[in-house]
Amino acid sequence: MRAANRGDAGAYRRLLHVITPVLRSVVRARGHALGHEGCEDVLQDVLLAIHTKRHTWIETAPLRPWLYAIARHKVVDAFRIRGQRIELSIEDFAEGFAAPQGPDPLEGRDMEKVLGALEPRAADIVRGFGLKGETTAETAARLGMSEGAVRVALHRALKTIARLRERMIE
Amino acid sequence: MKTDDLLSVLAADTVPQPTVGQRMTRALPVAFVLSGAAFLLFWGLRPDLGAALGSPAVLKTMLPALLAVLAAGLAYALAHPGLRSERRFAALGLFAAGLAAAFVALTARGGLSGLTEALVTPSLAVCLLSIPVLALPFLGAALWALSTGATLHPRWSGAVAGLMAGGASATVYSLYCDQDSALFALPAYSAAILFVGVLGALAGPRLLRW
Repeated sequence: MRAANRGDAGAYRRLLHVITPVLRSVVRARGHALGHEGCEDVLQDVLLAIHTKRHTWIETAPLRPWLYAIARHKVVDAFRIRGQRIELSIEDFAEGFAAPQGPDPLEGRDMEKVLGALEPRAADIVRGFGLKGETTAETAARLGMSEGAVRVALHRALKTIARLRERMIE
Repeated sequence: MKTDDLLSVLAADTVPQPTVGQRMTRALPVAFVLSGAAFLLFWGLRPDLGAALGSPAVLKTMLPALLAVLAAGLAYALAHPGLRSERRFAALGLFAAGLAAAFVALTARGGLSGLTEALVTPSLAVCLLSIPVLALPFLGAALWALSTGATLHPRWSGAVAGLMAGGASATVYSLYCDQDSALFALPAYSAAILFVGVLGALAGPRLLRW
């Protein structure tokens, strides 16, 4: 995370891949009523929150308490928005770390809705990174933008997505 | 979108975000200038300021300033999950308890008649209005800075931001106020600062949610 907050995308990607299965098992254990897709939506909410709030981790403090606090807050929030109250303790996360890591060809539904509400170009940039696995340089070349502009556009798009998701869930 | 794809998107976003500390250092000086300028324009320093600052009345300036520092520290901790805030909370609690005890002792000595005598002055309304007005720039700055944080308790964070703003504002206002009786300053300043705290608590859930 330290490297990630200094802009090391590779380290950040590895971190995200490590924590995602843990978070997924926590969400699944609590969200039977939501179904797999619904759980995946909650998980994506949590990941977006971790991403948009990653600078609130103090580098000298241990990472786990921060991660658990963010995730717990967001999971409870996400279930509340979807009309389900849940109780969640820190132990749920600790258990989650032992969970097996399955493959995840898993899809949420909310993201498509939110991308549809985004400015077309911003949605295009997000899809470029997500679905096509483009690099910043490739996106920049495809859209005729500078790399810096692509970075800023992506950053703004993610902030907007995090804000919109909450509002668009009925 | 698949979660795996989302991870790729997130990893691609390497633009650094402003931290609470950065925003505080940017916004609070601006708030201080705004509030200070308004103060000099519409209130002005009391003529005997030098003498007042050399007397026990200097507490009227020092204690709100101390409150602002304590509250700012607590608000900062609350905005960072995983950071322990119990000690800062206890410090603020001790501060408040100390003031309450002082107030009780003073009232016991002067009696209720002494208290009403100290409070029934036109300065009371001026004080109760001025401190919240002068606090608004500080409150705005604090909430703006905290909104980039990740508080788990928006209402509390807002309230603490309000106490910080109220404390800072009372510090400024004390340079105008010529009511030096502790029986006036303690309850009047506290009420005005608590009012700003309530404003913060009302704004917190709207502005500090994430």
